[in-house]
Amino acid sequence: MPDELPMNDPKKIWQDQPTEPIKMSLDEIRRKAEKFQTKSRLKVLMGMVIGLFVCVAFARMSAEIPDIVPRIGWGMLSLWGLYCAYATYKWIWPRRLAGNATLTTSLDFYRSELERRRDYERNIWRRSGLTFCFAGLALALIPELIPALQTPRLLLKAAPFFTLLAIWFVLFFYVRKRNRLKLQREIDELTALEKN
Amino acid sequence: MSQDDLYQEAADTYGSALDRLARAYEADPETRHDLLQDIHLQLWRSLEYFDGRCSLRTWVYRVAHNVATGHVVRQSRIRKTLASIEEIEAVPSNDQSERAAGQNQALERLSMLIQQLKPVDRQIIISYLEGMDASSTAEITGLSASNVAMKVHRIKNILRRWFHEGGFHAG
Repeated sequence: MPDELPMNDPKKIWQDQPTEPIKMSLDEIRRKAEKFQTKSRLKVLMGMVIGLFVCVAFARMSAEIPDIVPRIGWGMLSLWGLYCAYATYKWIWPRRLAGNATLTTSLDFYRSELERRRDYERNIWRRSGLTFCFAGLALALIPELIPALQTPRLLLKAAPFFTLLAIWFVLFFYVRKRNRLKLQREIDELTALEKN
Repeated sequence: MSQDDLYQEAADTYGSALDRLARAYEADPETRHDLLQDIHLQLWRSLEYFDGRCSLRTWVYRVAHNVATGHVVRQSRIRKTLASIEEIEAVPSNDQSERAAGQNQALERLSMLIQQLKPVDRQIIISYLEGMDASSTAEITGLSASNVAMKVHRIKNILRRWFHEGGFHAG
């Protein structure tokens, strides 16, 4: 049977599979490269615009509020918006491919990708400026909440929000830690593999 | 040779191999097409720096594997279901030894097997299936030739089991 031979040889099965190689002219490639770059930059610009919008909106709130503590809180949130815009530019803005990026072996490249993701998981709190965000929120909202919390009915209404916030905190740290450990295990496996 | 000439040569010579490589990394046809385009794009960009320190084939495969590995890592699949060659070899072959009914089914099974491997092991099995020797694979992956040879030995065992005990002669 004609099928008999290929079935017995995975190399032949693999190499004989029907393929549709991409036919792109050099002009098309250049166009796509530019389009890709523009698209990536637009995405980042969008993030920066949102960050700046948040910054201006909170700054206005800060300017309008007479009490000093909430004013500082909204001010911090405004700084957080600015920081987010900066962080988006710093960490995500697409840069030109480094000259030696493709000279690295696949193993080195894979490890560096894993390390990049692990560092992202490790530093996400700092890179997202979440300390600013939560400190600002606390300063802005707590003075308003304190009198309200003295009323049990209002306290009951606020309870689901604080419960969800607590769950979010626990999940945030748990998931990040789990991801980080898995990535580290993978990196360690690669290091051991390389030493063999 | 200019960057454009190098790209043309690479696309003409390795176009089909790159398509097969993309199939090994991505099952969904639409996403695979995007991945393949990305591989070509990055290959063209990278060839600006090609200085002949390694062969064009090694260069092409390194770029392609790196782009595809980046794709896998970005999709977070690495943290879900991927396994190493050693883990797959250790799985009993009860439901795997049935004879494939035809070439398409055999190819489907082969692709399934490859797509569940971790990136480095995937690179080794693809290189093996493309007919590369251990030293060429070592040059691409960065593993030692002896390490590659050991893994290829395991790959042959797995393929023998997956296709049909006794019928397949992995060479």
